[in-house]
Amino acid sequence: MTTTLAPATPPDAGAPPTRYRHIQQGLRERLAPYAYIAPFFVLFFIFGLFPLLFTFYVALFEWNPIGEHRYIGLTNFTELFQDPRFWGALRNTFSIWLLSTVPQLLLALGVAHLLNQVRLRAATFFRMAVLVPYVTSVAATTIVFAQLFDRDYGMLNWFLELLGFAHIDFTASVWGSHLMIATMVAWRWTGYNTLLYLASLQAVPRELYEAAAVDGAGSWQQFRHVSLPALRPIIVFTVVTSTIGGLQIFTEPLLVNPVGGLTCGAARQCQTLTLFLYEQGFGRFHFGYGAAIGVTLFALVVIIALINYLLITRIRWERP
Amino acid sequence: MAAAVAAALLASGCTPGSGGGGDDSGSSGSTFEFWSFTAINQKADVDAYMKKHPETRIKLTEVGSTSETAQALTAALAGGKVPDLVLIQGDDLPKFMQSPENFVDLNTLGADKMTGDYLDWVIKQPTTPDGKVIGIPTDVGGMAIAYRKDLFEAAGLPTDRAAVSKLWTTWDGFTEVGRKYVQATGKPFVDNTPTSVFFQAVNQGTERYYDSAQNLVYDRNPQVRAAFDLTLKVFAAGISAKQTSFSAGWTAGMGKGDFAVVSAPSWMLNSIRTNAPGTAGKWDIATIPGGSGNWGGSFLAIPKRAKNPEAAWKYIADMQSPAGQLDHFLMQGSLPTTPSVYTDPKLIGKTDPFFSGAPIGKIYTESVVNIKPFYIGLNDAAIGTELLNTLTSVEQGKVKPDRAWDTAMTNVKNALRG
Repeated sequence: MTTTLAPATPPDAGAPPTRYRHIQQGLRERLAPYAYIAPFFVLFFIFGLFPLLFTFYVALFEWNPIGEHRYIGLTNFTELFQDPRFWGALRNTFSIWLLSTVPQLLLALGVAHLLNQVRLRAATFFRMAVLVPYVTSVAATTIVFAQLFDRDYGMLNWFLELLGFAHIDFTASVWGSHLMIATMVAWRWTGYNTLLYLASLQAVPRELYEAAAVDGAGSWQQFRHVSLPALRPIIVFTVVTSTIGGLQIFTEPLLVNPVGGLTCGAARQCQTLTLFLYEQGFGRFHFGYGAAIGVTLFALVVIIALINYLLITRIRWERP
Repeated sequence: MAAAVAAALLASGCTPGSGGGGDDSGSSGSTFEFWSFTAINQKADVDAYMKKHPETRIKLTEVGSTSETAQALTAALAGGKVPDLVLIQGDDLPKFMQSPENFVDLNTLGADKMTGDYLDWVIKQPTTPDGKVIGIPTDVGGMAIAYRKDLFEAAGLPTDRAAVSKLWTTWDGFTEVGRKYVQATGKPFVDNTPTSVFFQAVNQGTERYYDSAQNLVYDRNPQVRAAFDLTLKVFAAGISAKQTSFSAGWTAGMGKGDFAVVSAPSWMLNSIRTNAPGTAGKWDIATIPGGSGNWGGSFLAIPKRAKNPEAAWKYIADMQSPAGQLDHFLMQGSLPTTPSVYTDPKLIGKTDPFFSGAPIGKIYTESVVNIKPFYIGLNDAAIGTELLNTLTSVEQGKVKPDRAWDTAMTNVKNALRG
């Protein structure tokens, strides 16, 4: 490196290239890109695609991980669709997803807009600060929130009592437990989405805002007519990722309501699909049934991602 | 059940099973790997053994809670690096008994000479129908009731453990004491009813969710129904603090003295000690209504693919002999499974200063010698959890008491599918 930057022998300096060398070089050039991307695909096949396909296979069996495997066709699925625990988990998953995703993305938009203000002091500090919940351990977050929401000794109920209200047993009720988990999810992911939005906003030329300001647009109008159109692609991205994430919420319901083991409460009031999958697969060792839940969840995520995509691309086309 | 509850206590355990460790030396010579669960302090045993046998090196991994350890073991047995020795909690044992071919038949290593040392109904659990033994019992969970002496005194109740024991020879007596306590203090008496009443009472019968012919009878066994109805009755008496065992509120309430009584299988004593260290000396232990019962206990097993089964077996043979279990009891407090030491003066004389010097050896062994053992099957843990959860829902006001049994039956049926 230190001696010279030029190749010792320029490629064309030697013997005139033969036809064979041409082909070899052409082949190498055509194959090289595949070699560069190969590490990802090799890892993806081993840790992504193979487990996925294997899950489809296991779902057709009564599968004891350390014992017998018995082929039972689609029985796991017919059982699953008659299982009230599955429908309950589906309801919980959607409810927690909606309660967390919608406020989370709206809030992120607002905060990103505020952080993008030119006049903001200590901008870097605030931009880093919104990311703190994201880098905090989920387990720690969950345990702290669970204590905040505690029935007898929680801070939230202490406030309620101060205001003259009766204590609320958040973990015991359906809505209470959903609200609690949605709060944790939103708390964790709002900052992350804020930064994504902020990055997009930074790419918007300042002149556009200045021009808008000269035309008499206030902060809200600037947001509405300058920021929002620029953000559309990243909004599509965050909606899709939060949907996929929201349908797979696991750690929070696992830890927030330890009562009853893997059910998130005595009446499964906040057991999500992934937690139900875990309970069946790893709590009860019903791998086949657990795999069937996994396949169903996969289908759900695909369908919802498609709906998301269609909805948002239509919005984009309508307002070019 | 204990497993499920303990699982909840822990944040998230790592699973050494699939990853394969990373240590290259593996098990050779007198080195072997041992997976245990947390909160049972096997480290003390391991250290003691290594001091006695300096040539032996034991790599102890505390995998996580009881159920997390069972999960890691399952993953390892399904295709990964297995430990040489593993501790399995009693509730998880039936799952592994389903496929005994995954474990070394300990009779081939010399267990046949030892099996007579253990309580017969305990050693029966890890024994297959054709006589293979895949686990050696390490402890049993005798039952008792822990109560707060100072709070009893403030409520005008007797505080002496013999007198208190006499107050509640039956569960009805227990409820009556609770009523008096609530009247005198205006505070709840017992931490909760599902764990402190149902899980104790249902473990005192002669049959539980299976009959002796191994048929499921949870829905028609009058003993289960009686324990369930008893729990509803105690709850209706209004003496429960409705703090689910091992929840954050339960821990806080215990420290603050917001309830005066906790059912205490022998392994629970450690939980009280660590959750409410400020209450040292204020507790005492009385016998359980009904006199006897067992909840809990663990087993040591050696996976078939273990690299060093001989070294692991030597450890079992030494530490789980009657003398080894007695030493463990004197050091740690978990109850031996070897009845020959139940009359040992060291065991009888063992007292616990945290619990006002209660003779824990005497109290707990008395609760297990009169036990009427019942068959524990594959789905015992799942059924128990559903019944307990339904009763918890009753305490939380989400299920009406008169609908509780039907709800519980529906929940169990759902749990048994899939």
